[in-house]
Amino acid sequence: MTTTHTRAPSAETKAPRRSALLQRDWSLLAQRLGALGIILALWQAAVLTGLLPSITPTVPEVTLGLWTAVTSTSFWTALGQTLSAATAGWIISCVLGVFLGLLIGPLRWLDRSTSVTVEFGRAFPTIALMPVILLLLGATTSMQITMVVLSALWPVLVQSILGARRLDPGIADTVRIYRIPRLLWFRRVLLPSALPFVTTGVRIAASISILAAVGIEVLTQVPGIGRMITLAQEAQRWDLAFAYLFFAGLFGWTVTALLARAESSLLAWNRQASG
Amino acid sequence: MTAPQSIHTGSLDVLGGEVLLDVSHVSMGYGDGEHEKRILEDLNLKVGHSEFVSIVGPSGVGKTTLLRGLSGLLPPKRGTVSVAGQTITGPHPDIAAVFQDYSRSLMPWMTTRENVAFPLQGQGVGRRERNRRAEESLEEVGLSGQGDKYPWEMSGGMQQRVAIARALAYHAKVLLMDEPFASVDAQTRFDLEDLVVNLREALGVTIVLVTHDVDEAIYLADRVIVIAEKPATVVDVIETGFGTVRDQVDTKADPRFQDARGRILTRLRKA
Repeated sequence: MTTTHTRAPSAETKAPRRSALLQRDWSLLAQRLGALGIILALWQAAVLTGLLPSITPTVPEVTLGLWTAVTSTSFWTALGQTLSAATAGWIISCVLGVFLGLLIGPLRWLDRSTSVTVEFGRAFPTIALMPVILLLLGATTSMQITMVVLSALWPVLVQSILGARRLDPGIADTVRIYRIPRLLWFRRVLLPSALPFVTTGVRIAASISILAAVGIEVLTQVPGIGRMITLAQEAQRWDLAFAYLFFAGLFGWTVTALLARAESSLLAWNRQASG
Repeated sequence: MTAPQSIHTGSLDVLGGEVLLDVSHVSMGYGDGEHEKRILEDLNLKVGHSEFVSIVGPSGVGKTTLLRGLSGLLPPKRGTVSVAGQTITGPHPDIAAVFQDYSRSLMPWMTTRENVAFPLQGQGVGRRERNRRAEESLEEVGLSGQGDKYPWEMSGGMQQRVAIARALAYHAKVLLMDEPFASVDAQTRFDLEDLVVNLREALGVTIVLVTHDVDEAIYLADRVIVIAEKPATVVDVIETGFGTVRDQVDTKADPRFQDARGRILTRLRKA
């Protein structure tokens, strides 16, 4: 009875608020499309006036290239290859990074002894490792996934360590007083407490994964979108190369946006509790 | 007994009956050897079943350190704490605690019911049984039907009720409270004090409360232990003799309350 009472008034106020929100959404969308339109117009103008090299495709040419791409099966196959390698590497990075981070974070001696190594790994230009990994594993999907993991692991690891460190001392005392077993503590206390930090790492790792997967295809013979870009470039099909580039960017952006949305619904408590 | 309208100097031993909590020659401090910083010196205290003992002292005297010692969170430098005849070596199933900072002891990612039931989950109590016990405890603190709310949807007073419910659901014999009502407004504070009085009467829980608030210490307790000086020692013990029922107006107007208040405040001013 009390719950229906509290819900009734909110239903009335919701309708006008939603339409106002919708209006703001539309005007924001219009502004964003406007900004995109201006960039495209500048591009077109730069090509026509000879500011950019003559081989640069014009906007209509790239648009046509986009169409050629989405209607060909080879594009979708390549996309599938890139995304599956990126996803595999990303998932491995997330599982490994969260596990190691939550192990290291709460143990002060382990945290202290590994901090330099972690900082070093994070700052290391992973791409420089590629010749070595290529020599070890060849131009294979497992090489690609290894490289993705070596690139994407760090943000997850660093964020998980930070998240685990910030466990509130009041909660830590409570957990000890009530003698919460280790595994339950890990699952129901440490993990949710660290989650606001972990999700940021996971989101950064997702865009790095796509970036690394495409980059490795560009530099080696591994099949995928990156390889398609190189092939189009070698065949002087600049329109197609730009179309593929556009898709590589689009997918990176889509994945990041989806994760940000999932994160905000998963962490409603965090916004409420701290705000 | 002597005239009912005067207060007594109490004892550190229980009046009669069984000893539940036995604090024997406990010294607490930080650091070791030469660098040891002694906080609390040689405390002896026995607490009986269903007794309410307040430990009152000025801010910074080491009350929280003492409570950490009693709860098993921090081992004493010397001496022993035992509950029901068993010497404790760490947190113990017979001891629950409620801290001052309710907002930091409840987990914001769990509902109220989950927070209350969580310690039971740790003891391997099944889901149905722990939800039943959580609901029962929430009812006892006046929060029936609020189990699905999150702590951040509640006021400070309600959050502290949840922390008390969590301690009750744990079915510990001794409830330790560290300045539990320090961060709420005056009216809420009175409500919570009366809640604790009623819970003690209804459930027979044994309570040890530390506070710097002299009025609160006297109002709630059967025995008030006054600690002061550095390192802290017991400087006075007062028996209030109010029985198990309290009233915010009558009890505080009682001459015994006034006597005890005057005596403790004078003693603390000296310290």
